[in-house]
Amino acid sequence: MRDVFHLSAFCLVAAIAVTGCKIVPDPDPTEIGSASVGQTDEARMEAFAQENWEARVLPVIQENLVPLDELRAALAENTDAAGEKFGLRPKGEANPWNFAVSGQGKIIEAKLDSRAAKLGVDTTGDGAADVTVQLGPVIRGTALRDAMPFIDFTDFRDQIEFAKLATALNGMAHASTPKPEGDVIGQDLRFEGVFTLRDPAMIELVPVMLEIGG
Amino acid sequence: MTITRRIFVSSLAMATALSVSFAAHAQDKGLIAIITPSHDNPFFKAEAVGAEKRAQELGYETLVLVHDDDPNKQSEMYDTAIARGANAIILDNAGADATVAPVQRAKDAGIPSFLIDREIKESGIAVSQIVSNNYQGAQLGAEKFVELMGEEGNYVELLGRESDTNAGIRSSGYHDVIDQYPDLNMVAQQSANWSQTEAYGKMESILQANPDIKGVISGNDTMAMGAWAALEAAGRTDVIVVGFDGSNDVRDSIKAGGIKATVLQPAYRQAQLAVEQADQYLTSGSTGQDEKQLMDCVLIDETNADKLETFALSE
Repeated sequence: MRDVFHLSAFCLVAAIAVTGCKIVPDPDPTEIGSASVGQTDEARMEAFAQENWEARVLPVIQENLVPLDELRAALAENTDAAGEKFGLRPKGEANPWNFAVSGQGKIIEAKLDSRAAKLGVDTTGDGAADVTVQLGPVIRGTALRDAMPFIDFTDFRDQIEFAKLATALNGMAHASTPKPEGDVIGQDLRFEGVFTLRDPAMIELVPVMLEIGG
Repeated sequence: MTITRRIFVSSLAMATALSVSFAAHAQDKGLIAIITPSHDNPFFKAEAVGAEKRAQELGYETLVLVHDDDPNKQSEMYDTAIARGANAIILDNAGADATVAPVQRAKDAGIPSFLIDREIKESGIAVSQIVSNNYQGAQLGAEKFVELMGEEGNYVELLGRESDTNAGIRSSGYHDVIDQYPDLNMVAQQSANWSQTEAYGKMESILQANPDIKGVISGNDTMAMGAWAALEAAGRTDVIVVGFDGSNDVRDSIKAGGIKATVLQPAYRQAQLAVEQADQYLTSGSTGQDEKQLMDCVLIDETNADKLETFALSE
């Protein structure tokens, strides 16, 4: 996180140098993205999400990607051990595990005409949806944010800013995955994404990669 | 039978021995000050009781103070704690901005602060800030509210005290869910400052102006109780009320078919955890945790209200 401060500080200095004598208020050095003085929490967190998406967020997901079948087997054996081995979460008790998973299945439910569009996917072949792929634009939860080891709540002003960061990262997930159209029921789906473990039988995935077809 | 009894007797003996050793250490480990808002709200009382109990178990003397959400009073209490030579301060604070100065003053005097429930707007001054995941909790409450409302109808939102970050974050968690449903229409949004009596008065006048309301979503349980009392007095027990905190009062109302749901903040455990981190910090120099820590909330409705007692859910 610290290098972000330095980078922003550098940008600010560079900006002043380029524009000459412009009065710029002192940024609060404890605030993320302090170069963007005067922006709303929302805009600042969107900028932060955009800056870090390809450089840091996607690499974390790729590094920790586990096939869903393998994860399910590990979870069935011992949740905590599976969490320690594959999971990501902030420090402290009462924080649920988040997992980056890859998997495939058949689309058996689709709700595409909603602000909270989603696909129900059967990945076990029993004819029932066991993964909900959240398409958005409204995506629930904070899985993406909470899975990132480089994001620490302490570096953010308060819960409001921190919640906007989760929303901004979910927005990036929405923007970077294709929106399925037409009749998708019965089609195969390959996916990569992150979810927060609450009920292993019903996974609510925030996708970062989707491939429909076949 | 004999074996059971022997185990029982020996564990009793051990418990006695332990409590003796706590008492012997009480002088050694020093003083922990516990400062919270008024105990009139059972939520803050549970915090104070949880923290005090854990501190005494760990061998500390305790000093329990109440700031009544008055930053000046809070500042005086910090001075008292500093003057009394407290080893650590457990604080549920009286304002995200106004609290920065006293916490800094204590830090300068070598006294670490461990914050619960509410954040302050600076990091690096307090050692720990352990807060409920209000955003996650508010979304849970809002999802339940939407379901109870059948995704449509007029509703009212009661907001908490504006200077408290938790008021804003809960409201934004509520709206991030509710605003997805175009047939849910907010007809009034007012602050009742976390207060039961204020909520009663606000609800009465809102109800007069908007008799066609179907639901009330409240930023905390005391305001939900105030709103419910006003609705009952007006014969409007058909109105759906959802609160936030997980108090025993709202639990009883849920069980009696009054208020429909609330969101439990693990306040009791949170206060204990803050004391444990204070103890660890005082004995080892580090809590081993990040400064700011979130604890997830749990939805309480008629299915699990039975298991709720003093801001904790039994398994």
